[in-house]
Amino acid sequence: MKYFSFFLVLAITIALAMLVSRPIGQIPPLAPLLDPNHGFWQNTLSEDQLAEEEINIENLSAPVEVVFDKNLIPHIFAQNELDLYRAQGYVTAQHRLWQMEFQTMAAAGRVSEIVGPIALELDRMTRRKGLAFGAEVGLKYIEENDPETLRLVEAYTDGVNQYISQLSDAKLPVEYKILNYRPEPWSAYKSLLLLKYMSDMLVGDRDLEYSNLRKLLGDSKLNKLFPDFPTENDPVIEAEKVWDFTPIPVNKPDSVTYPDDALLLDPLSQPVEGTGSNNWAVAGKKTQNGNPILANDPHLSLNLPSLWYSMQLTTPTYSVKGATLPGALGVISGFNQDIAWGVTNATKDARDWYKITFQDESRKAYKFGDEWRATDFRIEAIKVKGQDTFIDTVVYTHHGPVVYDKSFRSERQDVNFALKWTVHMGSNEQRTFIQMNKAKDYADYNEALDFYTSPAQNFVFASKSGDIGMRIQGKFPLKWEGQGKFFMDGADPKMEWQGFIPNAHNPATLNPERGFVSSANQHPVDRSYPYYVFDNSYEHYRNRRLNRKLREMNQITVEDMKMLQFDDYNLQAAEGLPVLIKLLGTHKTESPDAEKYLNELKSWDYFADPNQKGQTLYAIWSAETFESIWREFMNGAPVVRPNSYQTVELLNKSPKDSIFDVKSQEGIQTAEYHVKAGFDSMLVAMKKWEAEEGDYTWANFKKTTIQHLVPNFKSFSASNVYTGGGSGMLNATGSRHGASWRMVVELGPEIQAFGVYPGGQSGNPGSRFYANFIPIWANGEYLSFNLRSIENQEDVLFKTILK
Amino acid sequence: MRFIFLTILTAIVVVFLNPITPFWVVMIGIAVLSALVYPNGIGGFLGGGLGMGLTWLGQSIYLGITSASSLPDRMGELMGLGSGMTLVAVTGIIGFILGAFSGLTGVLFRDLLQKSPKNVYKG
Repeated sequence: MKYFSFFLVLAITIALAMLVSRPIGQIPPLAPLLDPNHGFWQNTLSEDQLAEEEINIENLSAPVEVVFDKNLIPHIFAQNELDLYRAQGYVTAQHRLWQMEFQTMAAAGRVSEIVGPIALELDRMTRRKGLAFGAEVGLKYIEENDPETLRLVEAYTDGVNQYISQLSDAKLPVEYKILNYRPEPWSAYKSLLLLKYMSDMLVGDRDLEYSNLRKLLGDSKLNKLFPDFPTENDPVIEAEKVWDFTPIPVNKPDSVTYPDDALLLDPLSQPVEGTGSNNWAVAGKKTQNGNPILANDPHLSLNLPSLWYSMQLTTPTYSVKGATLPGALGVISGFNQDIAWGVTNATKDARDWYKITFQDESRKAYKFGDEWRATDFRIEAIKVKGQDTFIDTVVYTHHGPVVYDKSFRSERQDVNFALKWTVHMGSNEQRTFIQMNKAKDYADYNEALDFYTSPAQNFVFASKSGDIGMRIQGKFPLKWEGQGKFFMDGADPKMEWQGFIPNAHNPATLNPERGFVSSANQHPVDRSYPYYVFDNSYEHYRNRRLNRKLREMNQITVEDMKMLQFDDYNLQAAEGLPVLIKLLGTHKTESPDAEKYLNELKSWDYFADPNQKGQTLYAIWSAETFESIWREFMNGAPVVRPNSYQTVELLNKSPKDSIFDVKSQEGIQTAEYHVKAGFDSMLVAMKKWEAEEGDYTWANFKKTTIQHLVPNFKSFSASNVYTGGGSGMLNATGSRHGASWRMVVELGPEIQAFGVYPGGQSGNPGSRFYANFIPIWANGEYLSFNLRSIENQEDVLFKTILK
Repeated sequence: MRFIFLTILTAIVVVFLNPITPFWVVMIGIAVLSALVYPNGIGGFLGGGLGMGLTWLGQSIYLGITSASSLPDRMGELMGLGSGMTLVAVTGIIGFILGAFSGLTGVLFRDLLQKSPKNVYKG
């Protein structure tokens, strides 16, 4: 009996211990998670409660002092660059380890390892696009061409890895505890992968949709609805710019034939609408203090932990501060004691698709000209949590990987397309940032940019010596007019890119007469630029608003620039709403609701401030109207619809155009029909909204949400942030996208810098530094980002010596 | 008496051993303690349970209060348990169950080694 009860209770005890230490379905092991000494309770502590005065790390040549200011922004003081980047890796990992690793897992197509089969399709897609392949090629390129950069990247890697090896269970980021896995070692490869991830986030193409459009509309109608340049083009490089180089000739083939299949594939995922950015610099002659002022606000998905992490990096020769990307070396958008720079996306159709003709089912060879070329097979082994490893075979041609084929999303088995993308070619973007961080003048800035390939960016520049500049930098293929707009025949050598535009021919400007440089993802250049420029996603509103304001402003102060970054003026509404109201006529005047909404619209000043109702009404009405206009157009094969600018222009200038006719309806419809239909839809939508939600002021309607990187972790997100702005406005804060970092720098004798981002320095949802910048950001306010000296004792949260 | 003694000793073990070892090592520690102190079955169960459960409860309340962190509430919501207070309770209950069965196991193990029947009038 004694034995029986002992073994029974022992068995129960062991069973209990096992039960609480194993995952049950999606529920993580309970005891390790709840144990107050190791589990999530330990993550309730903020960084200042865990501060250490000294930390031993190996391979440093001299002690490194890290000063955390009251906002937990680290200021690293090192004696040389190797120590500096080792410390950057260590400190970044202290605050952002989970995020760094998760983002690179996503870029490598390894999310299934963490979350299971739900992410398998996503991982296959990522791998078939060749991001990991691109990072491997990039690493090889750096190993062969730039051992100095490699040494620095390896120092950073070592810093991250020393943190991982010292990491106790208690301090493990809470996401690891919930998802039940542990960090693996960091590597130089992962740092490069992160930059590929940025490319993937920022680069799109619409070749598939344009191929379909060409087939549906024919060339002339296509050019009418999708002109290469808008009527009012206000490009990045001022239109007056005279190009002082002799362009390389590009030979357009005499006859061009496109693959003419009916294309029913799903298009590749695209950068989400609202991804874009603003940057500008004003010359001293336009500012109150006579100093150049530079501003930058990249618009990206709004996520927690934030994509950005602020830092100051100091060696005896330079001091740089701004926004870093956890996982990459140096500062990405920032300033040092001599210059400031910032980035916006400069998309220019960097991806092209080639139809591949395989010799036979084995896909071992494909046609190119008169020969059969051999393919490469890349085996992608995708580990899946709770399941067997999934093996995917991707065929590589000299164009690039065949993304869609018989084993992946093939509605048509005979269609195989290869993706040609500069991301697959060796490059060294990391070098650009390492050099930019210590640049002293315009020449240094240009030298740093010569290493930059992808994703192409508009790099704005200002220096203490009074220069302002802008350069559009990326690796841009030489294309004949129209090349790459549509799918091309990969068997035809005439369809090849004919080389690349030399860096010296990339659009750039220094100290233009107008006294400012600016970019907002619009067309890079005027028609006079001698190379072919095309992209579907150019901006038409932010750029014009920005340039108008900059042209008319004088005696500019830092405050003015902050206000401009937070400018909620909706230029699209200012141009579109009067057209809509005119076309609406007296429709529904008898309805009291309609009258109320119309009055609110008519009295609206076009500013999408958070308390505005007009913006909500316009957003619904215009969206419903555009939807009505293009509904039949979008019905069928995947296409893109003409952009809002083009649509408003059509409504305004040619309301009777046949494009407005609805084939499925009797009679002939004109613009008025769609405007009225859009208005009716708005009445229905508003009735529902008022019944369910009541308040329809803009902030409440758009519900800006800053979402945790794992969308299921809703309670780790910040929802319904009260802030204005939206797509197409300088303050481009929509519901899920917006200014992910705002910076304003005045380059006077003492540099005055301000910055903020929607998040916090800590990646730990339990820390008081996790989301503490959000209210500041939402109000359009800033933190002081002035450079700190090592002696400065003000506002110090704590200090750590690494040695 | 022995029950109270075990409760206190268990709490001490959790406070000092738990930070450096996983929870299952603590469970073994409680079983050993319980065999050494040797209260009766109920005493072992409650002593181990209350020792570990109350300590976990106290530690989680202490961390929650000193950090003023929103994490317990965020975790409570994530796990579908509502607020952070529920999580405090769940932490305490899990600590109690693990400690209690460890304590009882220790007592029953000592029973095995005991040659003569235990004197029910002592302790």
